[in-house]
Amino acid sequence: MTSKVEKVVEFKIHRFSPENKKRYVSTHSVPIRKGMTLLDALMYIKDNSDETLAFRSSCRMGVCGSCGILVDKEPMLACYTQVLQLNSDSLVIEPLPNMKIIKDLVIDIQPFMDTYNRIKPILIKSEEALKEPNAFVQVTADLKKYWDLSLCIKCSICYSACPAAIDEKFLGPSTYATNYRFITDSRDEGTEERLKAMADNLWLCTSCNSCTMFCPKEVDSSTSIVDERSLIVETGGIPRTVRDVLTSVTRYHNPMGMHPSKRMEWAKDLEVKAFPTIKDADILCFMGCTAAFDPRSQTIAKSMISVFNRLGVNFATLGTEEWCCGDHILRLGEKGLFEMLAEHNLSTFEKFNTQRILTLSPHCYNTFKHDPPYSEKNLNVQHYTQFLAEAIETGRLKPSKTINNRLTYHDPCFLGKRNEIYDSPRQILKAIDGLELVEMKRTRESSFCCGGGAGRTWTEEAVPEKRPSVHRVKEALELNVDMIATACPFCVTTLEDAVKVLDVEEKIEIKDVLELLDEAT
Amino acid sequence: MEIMSHDIIIIGAGMAGLRAAIAAAQFSKEVDVAVISKVYPVRSHSVCAQGGTGAVLKDGDSFDLHAWDTVKGSDFLADQDVVELFVRRAPQEIVALDHWGCPWSRTEDGKINQRRFGGHSFPRACFAADMTGFHEMHVLDGKAKTFDNVKFYDEWFVVSLLVNETAVAGLTAIDMKSGEMYALRAKAVVMATGGHERIYEFTTFSHTATGDGMTIAYRAGVPLKDMEFVQFHPTGLVPPGVLITEGARGEGGYLLNSKGERFMKRYAPERMELAPRDIIARAEMTEILEGRGLEGPYGHYLALDIRHLGEEKINERLPLIRDVAIKLGGIDPVKEPIPIRPAAHYSMGGINASIKAETSISGLYAVGECACMSLHGANRLGTNSTADCLVFGAIGGQEAAKHALSESLRELPKEQILTSEKRVFDTILGSEGDERVAAIRDEMRTIMNDNVWIFRTGDGLKSALKGIRELRERFGKVTVEDKSKQFNTGLIGALQLDFTLDLAEVTITSALARTESRGAHFRKDYSKRDDENWTKHTLAYCTKEGPKLEYAPVTITKWPPTARTY
Ligand SMILES: Cc1cc2nc3c(=O)[nH]c(=O)nc-3n(C[C@H](O)[C@H](O)[C@H](O)COP(=O)(O)OP(=O)(O)OC[C@H]3O[C@@H](n4cnc5c(N)ncnc54)[C@H](O)[C@@H]3O)c2cc1C
Ligand code: SF4
Ligand code: SF4
Ligand code: FES
Repeated sequence: MTSKVEKVVEFKIHRFSPENKKRYVSTHSVPIRKGMTLLDALMYIKDNSDETLAFRSSCRMGVCGSCGILVDKEPMLACYTQVLQLNSDSLVIEPLPNMKIIKDLVIDIQPFMDTYNRIKPILIKSEEALKEPNAFVQVTADLKKYWDLSLCIKCSICYSACPAAIDEKFLGPSTYATNYRFITDSRDEGTEERLKAMADNLWLCTSCNSCTMFCPKEVDSSTSIVDERSLIVETGGIPRTVRDVLTSVTRYHNPMGMHPSKRMEWAKDLEVKAFPTIKDADILCFMGCTAAFDPRSQTIAKSMISVFNRLGVNFATLGTEEWCCGDHILRLGEKGLFEMLAEHNLSTFEKFNTQRILTLSPHCYNTFKHDPPYSEKNLNVQHYTQFLAEAIETGRLKPSKTINNRLTYHDPCFLGKRNEIYDSPRQILKAIDGLELVEMKRTRESSFCCGGGAGRTWTEEAVPEKRPSVHRVKEALELNVDMIATACPFCVTTLEDAVKVLDVEEKIEIKDVLELLDEAT
Repeated sequence: MEIMSHDIIIIGAGMAGLRAAIAAAQFSKEVDVAVISKVYPVRSHSVCAQGGTGAVLKDGDSFDLHAWDTVKGSDFLADQDVVELFVRRAPQEIVALDHWGCPWSRTEDGKINQRRFGGHSFPRACFAADMTGFHEMHVLDGKAKTFDNVKFYDEWFVVSLLVNETAVAGLTAIDMKSGEMYALRAKAVVMATGGHERIYEFTTFSHTATGDGMTIAYRAGVPLKDMEFVQFHPTGLVPPGVLITEGARGEGGYLLNSKGERFMKRYAPERMELAPRDIIARAEMTEILEGRGLEGPYGHYLALDIRHLGEEKINERLPLIRDVAIKLGGIDPVKEPIPIRPAAHYSMGGINASIKAETSISGLYAVGECACMSLHGANRLGTNSTADCLVFGAIGGQEAAKHALSESLRELPKEQILTSEKRVFDTILGSEGDERVAAIRDEMRTIMNDNVWIFRTGDGLKSALKGIRELRERFGKVTVEDKSKQFNTGLIGALQLDFTLDLAEVTITSALARTESRGAHFRKDYSKRDDENWTKHTLAYCTKEGPKLEYAPVTITKWPPTARTY
């Protein structure tokens, strides 16, 4: 007895034949019935349309981790996804990225599995303790501390989406999560040994959050890594590059190690109102440290001022009283320092009588929104792209000049993945005449991190081919665009470095959306 | 052909195989252990086990009580010496898993918590929420990987055993990634390849549960024991067959027929929805056969209704069940009853093995679900299977290590290697007939579901046997479309079909001969247990003419058969 066919869905499957190394796409129509999963559809294709199709599966109940695939660029478990719930008549199916393809949808997960051999995925206990004839005691409250992290099914989805994992020094998101699962297990006695395994490599994580976002079991690898960093910071065993950043922020309240009195130098020729001279304005612009001290980012900051002036916005900055927002510092694991920065900024917000905050950087935006103590204050904060997209939509801002350019847009992780702001920057670009916006293969939710987050902009030491930014620029080059626009000063810097490394300065240019808008208005 | 050598090769990296590897590696640093598995260890079926692992840990419980429950549950077909050893060894396995990191659910004072389970008269199921097997497996996998003397061959598919006279010499296997076949030599081989539930259409088991090792051992000359005993679980989710744990009924869920009646009142008025599995499964089938099943797009079914528990309680107590029903059944149990029907759930039978996991071939051991030391008899109790994998996995690993340390490698029988190679690459991959693997596989499953299911009759079984033999003929003309080497899942599918066809034949032949009803084996034409004639184990031997049956006595130590009532 068979059920009603609800609809026919077209499956476009990216294939790879190992015999002749050929890549091709095969298309299959699959009658979909209620209850059918993606895995059922793949099996239908194998049984009825193309027996040569290769994919993995075993449990078909979401616990064995065999069946991760990309569906319209988004990674998921084939057996745990209802086709009808995807609401689509046509689906593009690909193998998970970041790993070698063996055949069709079957990837080589050995490198991923091998990362677990670099930590100890069982309890570390003394010989003595293991002689104990009874089970160890563990109260439920202690079990709960690590339970969520113990749910990882080793499906490699996080690894496939992780920008840091292109460097084999990096253990992989789930491996750090597993290591942390044992660190937080009250029965474990191996914290020191476990931290050692990570001390020189977990700094490669950019906190892009892809791992956490796509994990089918809601394992929060990204936060585990931050927590592990905190433990390493406490023991002092941090690499020099990271230590330098933390020292600078402690001393000068910015990661560049510049004297705080110089924070407004970028604006010395502009008439920018600033605290404490000004104690009130409609909008407080939180500029961020890069805009203040990094020459490349300063031009973005200047664009912001000129666009705001044209719009007639009554705004001011915190001047030399602005301290690093602490986003990167928190992700680097220095929670104490972060709190100090936050306390200062919050108290200055109060003195300023702040009603509304706009940030230039998605990182400041993100931390104000989500990280206590900032988040506890429910600050009225927007990223500039939101504010300006609104201005364009309501007709207050009209880009008038034409810029003839074919470009693509790179989603900053802290704007996109972490805050779901995908449309505002695109709306701004679309409002500018002459710009032809094309999308990269990996875009929006499945965008690929530039590699600059969590302080990696300052600590980058990887060889070029292992830098996420280099991969990202190459991806853009495939589109034959002459520009990558983005909306984050860190993305601009890291991508620009990659352009230099690749020696393609003639071919492609990196700009912030603000700079383009400034040019066009 | 390249040849590798190890002291011990364990085939299968499920709970039994990994436990055996750990035991062998711990027994001596000198033994070089290899684990071969057709899937990465944590993809093995064992990760699906949900409810728990049975062991005596608390005051009030006793070895004798656990043993008695097991013997009674087995409908007196279990070998009682095996049961007694099993119950004594189970607790130390629970402790070992704890020491390695298993996140056992806890009591208020931090001790390992235990819950009730069908057929057990004491709450002795240790559990890690509703993901017990999953957590046990990840801990075993982690532990096995801490040994320098254990090497893993992941995604290698074993095709045959190589036997030199009466002793094991090695095996042949395909490295799926390259598609090449290899011979591996060993002094001892441990079979731990799991169950064969995929001979059925509707099952709670993984796609990979195709009983390969049972057939491989059977073809090498070891008899398969008690294969007619297949357990059916009352609540397989329709359509995928995925298990809806007993917990859903434990929490107060109702089983309803098309009239909205709680039909269990007719079959087990006291225990209702919490009666033993075989009784509920038969009740469900009766309802369906008598026209009181619900009719759905995927055939007849019954309803498991938990709506009255309310969203809050469902979210708190049965989160996985809700998730599974939504993701896999496309229905939300908060709003609709869950469509269920009985599903093939466990193979009590398997490779005939002694209390030390030995088989009739010297150096060949069998553990876990593929083995039959007669622990579960005619019906397994929930939670006894994972415990079985742990206890006898450990015993088998140790015995294999002892054997390997005292023996030397045997000469490989060259002609057997050639036969295996020819069978795979010429006969199966080279065939150009007009039959399809998927068609034969599906027909086999339909036959098994229609005629070798919960209610069996002589006529039904005979017609099933005829059907399977026709399929065996047709298998000779099967074509594997994919002729390439690397990761040829079409070829693997054909080899698995080849294995399951033998197992279907053995299951039917054994069931046809057993003219009584016992445990999970229910003959409508012989509906009573017949202790006088049938308190004995079936042994099926592989011959050119098909399975040849012999019988062996049941070991009874303390508990003579009595009526099995609940
Ligand atoms: C949904 C569900 C829930 C369950 N819940 C419970 C429970 O709560 N408690 C309980 O006690 N029992 C439970 N069971 C039963 C229990 O899970 C199984 O009996 C047990 O896990 C079997 O383990 P195993 O190690 O014998 O085999 P498996 O875990 O099936 O492993 C078989 C191994 O053999 C390998 N293999 C097979 N063929 C080949 C080949 N040709 N070449 C190479 N390798 C091969 C596989 O790759 C795999 O590694 C449950 C079963 C199901 C289906
Ligand atoms: S946050 Fe991003 S970089 Fe860090 S582990 Fe996760 S995916 Fe990788
Ligand atoms: S952390 Fe999540 S995504 Fe990563 S391997 Fe584990 S289950 Fe998969
Ligand atoms: S098949 Fe096991 S997770 Fe999908």
